[in-house]
Formats: sequence, structure tokens, C-alpha cells
Amino acid sequence: MEWIITGIDELEDSARKLLKKAGDHRIMAFSGEIGAGKTSLIQRICQQLGVEEKVTSPTFALANVYATANGDEVYHLDLYRLKDAQEALDMGIEEYLYGDRYCFIEWPAVIEDLLPADTLYIRIELIENSHRKIVLL
Amino acid sequence: MQINILAIESSCDDTSAAVIQDGEVLSNCVANQEAHRLYGGVVPEVASRAHQANIIPVVDLALKKAGIRKEELHAIGFTKGPGLIGSLMVGVSFAKGMALSLDIPLIEVHHMKAHVLAHFAEAPHPSFPFLCLTVSGGHTQIVRINNYLDMEILGQTIDDAAGEAFDKTGKILGLEYPAGPIIDQLAQQGEAKFSFSEPKIPGLDFSFSGLKTGILYFLKKQVKEQPNFLEEEMPNICASVQDRIVSILMNKLKLAVKQTGIQTVAIAGGVSANSGLRKALQQTGEELGWQTFIPKFEYCTDNAAMIGVTAYYKYLEEQFSDQGVAPVARWNI
Repeated sequence: MEWIITGIDELEDSARKLLKKAGDHRIMAFSGEIGAGKTSLIQRICQQLGVEEKVTSPTFALANVYATANGDEVYHLDLYRLKDAQEALDMGIEEYLYGDRYCFIEWPAVIEDLLPADTLYIRIELIENSHRKIVLL
Repeated sequence: MQINILAIESSCDDTSAAVIQDGEVLSNCVANQEAHRLYGGVVPEVASRAHQANIIPVVDLALKKAGIRKEELHAIGFTKGPGLIGSLMVGVSFAKGMALSLDIPLIEVHHMKAHVLAHFAEAPHPSFPFLCLTVSGGHTQIVRINNYLDMEILGQTIDDAAGEAFDKTGKILGLEYPAGPIIDQLAQQGEAKFSFSEPKIPGLDFSFSGLKTGILYFLKKQVKEQPNFLEEEMPNICASVQDRIVSILMNKLKLAVKQTGIQTVAIAGGVSANSGLRKALQQTGEELGWQTFIPKFEYCTDNAAMIGVTAYYKYLEEQFSDQGVAPVARWNI
């Protein structure tokens, strides 16, 4: 399914929609070019899950871990800096992928072969006039 | 009595070890070819397995360079967090094992607090209270420091870090990663003739995500009208981007000074190597009568010396950890 949003204030609604669609799925992979809004969308999803602290870009840290209101952990990964799957394994990617926690991954291409079968793939496309198309594959 | 502390830092990419004597840096080593030559290995690139291979050579090198035998150590300081858990685990486990075998105290250190205390690695030291803008690939914070072990965050980024704004802009421009130093270099040959809007973020918090998107739109539009825009205007684009990132940082810093009345201002972290930021801090300081502090580059990026300096001040207060200590990925200042 796919839909179009016309501004950043509609991200919250998209986050709600994605979580509802996700059901029991815990791993979500987000693709889209720089500036598409991957981190912004994940921020809104984390808010929906009750994360109160600041959700910031994990590009440098590779992985951010947040706590929800009821103490569950949420993982936010960004593999932008990684060159290949071996580097992902070296950083301990399995810990994040095979826990029972929500795990949101930006720039997932390098670990395509490692992602669990029930991973949800979300693509954000930049279209004209600051509009975005959000595609749930 | 002289206090010798071995410090270990492994929170992200680099494995680093340092030896600190009475707060002074005797050695500060990052795992590199030099450390590995002694062991005949090569340097792996990223994260925990790399730290595992690096840690013994780099600790050994730090002790040798300092001229200190491990029996002469009084404590071991280590980064407990925040950072990548697998990477932290290596440093924490090593520190615990070594402290146990030498029967000396263990001292846990907060990575971001240590960045601030890197200013005490060498004279002149800022006097308390002071403000510190900590800017790197992963962080952008304004911290108020009341004393060595008493500090609070006044503002921080709500999305991307300043260093990331440089790197991601570099990616859009087709520059290599990490692009910060390349943009800095090109900016010096250009003029800030393009204007990018300043995000309106309340208080002392920062945002760089919108700037990134703004740059992206601007370039797409320009390239459509003028296909070789990037090639022709590269130095000017870089100068404009740098100018805006620096002005966002400086405007918040000015606001922080105004709000707190504190006029002793320092910068720390990898982005404090940026020539535009250094110049802006110096100029603003002269104009507004601030006392400014910029650390040497080796104390800007992640390093163990800053962990050791912090551990020294905790040692004086006898703030020790027990053997049950474990690394933490998240840890508020």
C-alpha cells in the first residue's frame, strides 16, 4: 500500500498507520534518499510507542536504544556508515534483529540478506512541492 | 603521592588507551598501525570485534609510551556509556579484568562528560562555571559545568548532530565520507553567497534535519536550471553551508550566555576542529568579552585521555565502581 503526505505535520498520522499495519512485526526497514524524512518518521513512530526522550539520528552511533513508558526497549539503527554485512555482524547486528523488540533500521541495504523474513519494508519518496510518497512494500 | 590512572575508551569506532598522572596526560594512544605493528596485525575497521583485536596492543602501547609499569597504576578508568553496547562491552570487560588482577579501583566514566573535561588535559583550564558546546558526528549539546563532576545539559539536538549535517550535505554534494574536513577546505576558497534558512527551534535546542532537506531542495532546483551548478559553485555552496551550520551553533551559544550570564565558553568534540567554528567563537568572544577555550585536536575527537582526566577527578572524590558494573547504551548526563 502507499499514500502521499503533503507536509511534516502528517507524519504522525503515517506513523500511526504503519504501526497498525505492522501488527506483530517488530523489524521495519526504511529506505529513501537523504532528506526524505526517514528519521522524522521514526521519531513519530517512537512517540506513538511512548518513547519520551529525544529520538535523534543514529548515523554516528550506529544504534540508539530508547525506553518506552513501560520500560520496553526500542532499537533505532542507521547503517549508513557500514560498507558490508560483515561490518554489521561485527557491530553485533543480530542482537538487535533477533530480540523481541521493535527495531527501526535506516539505510538497510547492506544487511538485506540478514533481515528476518517478516521484516516490513518502507520506502519514502520525495516528490514535487515537499510532498512525500510513503510506500509499504 | 603520584596517582597513575590507565584509561580505556571504546564507545564507538576507535579503541583508545591513555595514562594520566595527577591529571596530566603521559600518553594518549588510538589503535592504529603503530599499535598493531608490535603485534604484527592489521587494524580492523568497525566496532566490537575490532575493539577486541585492538585493546591489548593499544593498552600496552599507552603504558610503554608513558613509561609506567602496570604495577604502578592506582586505578583504571573506562567509558561505561553512552555508546554502542558491543563496543563498550570490550572496554568495560577489559578494565574490570585488569583492575581485578591488579587489585586496584575501577572508575566508570560518562563519555560526554569526559568530552567536556578534555579541557583539563592541558593548561590553560577554564574556570567554573563555564559553558561548553560539544559538537561531533553524534552529538550537539550545550552543557553548563559547575564543577568537575557537576554538569547539566542546557540544550541539545532534536534530530541530527552538527557533524552529521556536514557529512550528509557532503553526500548530497558527492563528496567522500566523512565530508566535514573537505567542506571546511572548499569553504575557505568560496564565499557564502547562498542563504539557507535558520531553523526556528525554541530555547537552546538545535535542529539540523530541516537544513539538510533545505539544501537538497535548493540544489535540485539549481541543477535543473543550470546542469553544471555543482561543479561551478562547489566552493560557494560549501562556504554557504558551513556559514549556516556555524551560525546556528553560535546563535544558540550567544543565547546560552545571555540566559546564564556565564561568559566563559568552550567548545569540544570533533566539529570543534572546523576552522569556521573556531574563527566564529574567537571573533564572537572578542566582540562580546567572552573568555574562550578550544582544545587541541587530539582532545577533540574520541580519545582515552579525556576519560583518564575525568577518572582522576572521580578518584580524588573516591567515586569508584564495583566489579558488578556493566556498560550502558543510554545514559543521561
